[in-house]
Amino acid sequence: MRLAPRPRKNLLFWLGVIVFLLSMSLWSARGIGFSLTELVCNLTDGSRLLRESWPPDLAFLARLVDPMLETVFIAVVGTVVGGIFAIPVAVLAARNLTPNRLTWFADRNFMNILRTLPDLFWAMLFATAVGFGPVAGALALTVFTVAVISKLYSESLESIDMGLPEAIRAVGGSWLQMIQFGALPQALQHYVSYALYAFELNIRASVVLGLVGAGGIGMILETQRANFEYERVTMIILAVLVAVLMIEEVSESIRKRLT
Amino acid sequence: MSSHSDLLRQPGPPIGFATIVTFVIALMFIVSMFAIGFTPGQMAEVPAGVARVLSFFWPVDMAYGWDRVLPAIVESIQIAWIGTIIAALLSLPLALFGARTLFPRVARVVKLISATARAFPEILLAIYFVPIVGLGPFAGALAIGISSVGMLTKLGAEVVDSLDFGTVEAVEAAGGSRILALRWAVLPQVLPEIIAHWLFRFELNIRASAVLGVVGAGGVGGVLLNVVLAIDMISGEIRRRIIRS
Repeated sequence: MRLAPRPRKNLLFWLGVIVFLLSMSLWSARGIGFSLTELVCNLTDGSRLLRESWPPDLAFLARLVDPMLETVFIAVVGTVVGGIFAIPVAVLAARNLTPNRLTWFADRNFMNILRTLPDLFWAMLFATAVGFGPVAGALALTVFTVAVISKLYSESLESIDMGLPEAIRAVGGSWLQMIQFGALPQALQHYVSYALYAFELNIRASVVLGLVGAGGIGMILETQRANFEYERVTMIILAVLVAVLMIEEVSESIRKRLT
Repeated sequence: MSSHSDLLRQPGPPIGFATIVTFVIALMFIVSMFAIGFTPGQMAEVPAGVARVLSFFWPVDMAYGWDRVLPAIVESIQIAWIGTIIAALLSLPLALFGARTLFPRVARVVKLISATARAFPEILLAIYFVPIVGLGPFAGALAIGISSVGMLTKLGAEVVDSLDFGTVEAVEAAGGSRILALRWAVLPQVLPEIIAHWLFRFELNIRASAVLGVVGAGGVGGVLLNVVLAIDMISGEIRRRIIRS
């Protein structure tokens, strides 16, 4: 039996991609002093810090409850507010839905600027604007959430089936109705999983935000680390791990039932 | 015999799961707003405060010089690249075996690994790597790599979970093994989305390496923006090409 000939790929294109990837990797590896021998040889004596981090200080757990809750509160506010604002930003940045090219261009650049600035920058910005504390953290995470969800969601919106939105336009629906009934529901499943993903990112980000005084469990982490209490640091990480696992479990079941 | 009034008395659609979830989220949101001590008065101060802070960043200190900024940016791109390559290589097999629809047992273990990797903030991971490889960009790249493995594995496994299993069944019906099905049915379907996640992660990692203290804040904003713009364009182009071919 003869199999049908396999479709020829654009060989030159893929060769170019591979050469680019390899040379980029070699250049970067040299630039940062990547060395496998260094990593392997020093693994044993360099792991002193890891030995100090074990066993976790279980007694410390009681003092983690309040900051952990604060972390969750900050993440909830950031995700909800940011998730709502991300929808219009994503729609205007989707090539197939945006009303005109100018809006698309402006919004796309707005999104890029949001994503360029790191979350710590936003945390410091809002900490100086409204004072150190959880509100600054929540504001920073709001911006961060808009940045993450709008980018991912606009890509999902670009890959929807345009038949339905066009049908709505054809029967006289307005642009807003086309978006509301034709476009958004098609990518709803993606939106839900991006929002849950952003929530998890926010829980983790608020650990980092604590380092600049924006509230949450990160503040405790930073004090314990500065005092070389690595057994307590491990305990904090374990608490975050449990939180992340729980959120993942919940988000999994929500996504399964909504779709 | 059912009459018209019987039909009318039939219960409407039950309150949907989505409604309950929305309600719970709204409730959590309100509780959280109170808990973090949010006041509307504070919001009124935000624009002025933000404007004040932003004014510190203007005008750009051109005297600081490109020759000092540019190497730092190059280094942070290199860190992000190595970190992303490490993460991509490690996370691809993990993501395939982490799909609970294909490998229900292995998926549990993979999930625990990826959750553990995600629980460590990058800054802390870097601190753990410093005694091993010394203070410098290599430690940063390893830290970024490990923390990206967690996220890429999770996102990749979700992509695999959500795909159409007709092709997998077709391969197995034709006598192929699970592994063959992975190569010929799963991989071609999930690769465009997984590559998009890699590129997005690369972009996030450039920012993360900036946070790791390689690049000081200030004049780099403009250049960093150009890099993000370029990656954005490249990623879109690659996605389109892969989807077409």
